[in-house]
Amino acid sequence: MTTADLTLAARQEPTVPTRKTKRIDWLGLAITLALGIVVVVPLVVVAIWAFAEVWRYPSILPQEFGLRFWEATLSRPDVWQAMSLSIRLSLTVTLLSAVICLPAAYAFARLDFPGRNLLFLSFLASHAFPKFGLLVAIASIFLNLGLVSTFWGVVLIQLVGTLMMMIWIPVAAFQNVDRAMEEAARDAGAGPLRVFWSVSLPQAAPTIGAAVLLSFVGTFYETEGAWLIGAPEIRTMPVLMITFINNQIVVQYGAVLSVLLWVPSFFALMFSRRLVGSSSFAKGFGV
Amino acid sequence: MTHTSSSGTVRKGGTAKRNGRGLTGLLLVSAPVALLGWLIIYPIFNAVARTLFTAGDEGLHFSLDTYQRFFTDGYALNNLWLTLWVTAVCAACLMAICLPLALYLRFAKSRVAAVVQGLALFPMFVPSVILAYALIRTIGPNGGVDLVLNAVGLPKINSPYLTPWGPVIGLVWDNIPLTTLMLVAGLGGVSDNAVEAARDAGARRFALLRYIILPQIGNAMLVVLSFTVLGIFSAFTLPYVLGPASPEMMGPFMQRTFSQLSDSRMAVTQAVITFAICACFGAFYVRSIAKNREARR
Repeated sequence: MTTADLTLAARQEPTVPTRKTKRIDWLGLAITLALGIVVVVPLVVVAIWAFAEVWRYPSILPQEFGLRFWEATLSRPDVWQAMSLSIRLSLTVTLLSAVICLPAAYAFARLDFPGRNLLFLSFLASHAFPKFGLLVAIASIFLNLGLVSTFWGVVLIQLVGTLMMMIWIPVAAFQNVDRAMEEAARDAGAGPLRVFWSVSLPQAAPTIGAAVLLSFVGTFYETEGAWLIGAPEIRTMPVLMITFINNQIVVQYGAVLSVLLWVPSFFALMFSRRLVGSSSFAKGFGV
Repeated sequence: MTHTSSSGTVRKGGTAKRNGRGLTGLLLVSAPVALLGWLIIYPIFNAVARTLFTAGDEGLHFSLDTYQRFFTDGYALNNLWLTLWVTAVCAACLMAICLPLALYLRFAKSRVAAVVQGLALFPMFVPSVILAYALIRTIGPNGGVDLVLNAVGLPKINSPYLTPWGPVIGLVWDNIPLTTLMLVAGLGGVSDNAVEAARDAGARRFALLRYIILPQIGNAMLVVLSFTVLGIFSAFTLPYVLGPASPEMMGPFMQRTFSQLSDSRMAVTQAVITFAICACFGAFYVRSIAKNREARR
């Protein structure tokens, strides 16, 4: 039985829950258990592998635990190169994206200009094309421009990937700024820049911060563009990881890298859960 | 209130000021719009044009040769067929898993619901490369599931790794958070009162779902479906790592045609074919967000 089957089997019971009661939420517990197995177990297996020195087949746990493969993985020069490249790429892309998208988001949220709705819609509509096909189309243009297998080629393609998130989340943030407070500041004699800096921005900042963080992490893990445009010169962490998986060199290399790679997403999880759980996040996808 | 008064002051400022503001607005959005034009809209038209016209001796002429090659090549057709199959199976599985999950999250009021939400969103923060690796170690040959089955004396599973079920499991896992979120947002439109009233009138759970809830979230479900189909149809990483080598899904097929066979015109043809197949889902998606924005204004 596969993991997907397990989830299905666990959900056979009727699912419209009862009204407010103090009873134990058995359905919720059943779903928690099923989701827990499906979602958490694969990651636990990887975590165990990362600390296993010897793990031969029928044994349910590794025969020997240890950090030998952490040393082996971390002493590989290609790992460090990929790590530094990935961090440089993600920083560059996130910074560029913030510089060009945040002012645009402010304009979409608060200024009135010709074509505003059409342009904003066209950003949302960029999701309406199958992404990989689009990447192939871009790659064939980059091929003629000599941008394939270069740092800036990958920056450009990853920048496009962040546009959507860096525009619609900040737009929502700017739209939710309390106008009465801005008016009050203006009445007290503050200029428009001062109002923006001291009143509007602080209110929008947490949401914008979450968008920036999600863009950084999303770029760090971006695989398709880096693989298609970057190969063979530009090898980011996820690309290196795929090579490790395909070549099956040493099982633990992949496990150690997975645990390492998961650290940034853990932070993203901590800081942006409220944003992602909010209904405005899903609304951006057109529901 | 404040909104109208602020726009009122703008109007009072006269056309000169309004034009100035319009210009500022356009200026502020120009950089991302230019990027959007150059790297999304232009490549789409360029791709269509490049594959339909070839450079001959006397300039450009119309030709469907690459399309003909694609649709007469059994291998390419198998790849397309596999991709359609995986997309359909994934969409069905996602609906079967996420709709009950979303219904639970929408109506549950216990503290367990917060835990369920956390778990359901969790895969969003696991990059697909790590997921691919984790799935190989868990349901691959001699993986975690095999170890447990062996320990309790059961036979090993038929590993889905490197079969079409590999990408199906990976893609479903990966898409649970977004699908659930979007469905929960769609269920936000179903009022508690309507559900309570129907229940007081004696409606059974199934009737409630069939006559009160489903009609109201039909549109949301179609948007979710379109979005999922668009995402899965052109997935690359999971099919590449977990899927079979032959036939392969369109993502890896395009990548191989582009990078290994260096046949960029054929790769772009394959891309245009995926655009065409996804066009109706894309159009529906765009129409729906446009309508939503209209309704909120």
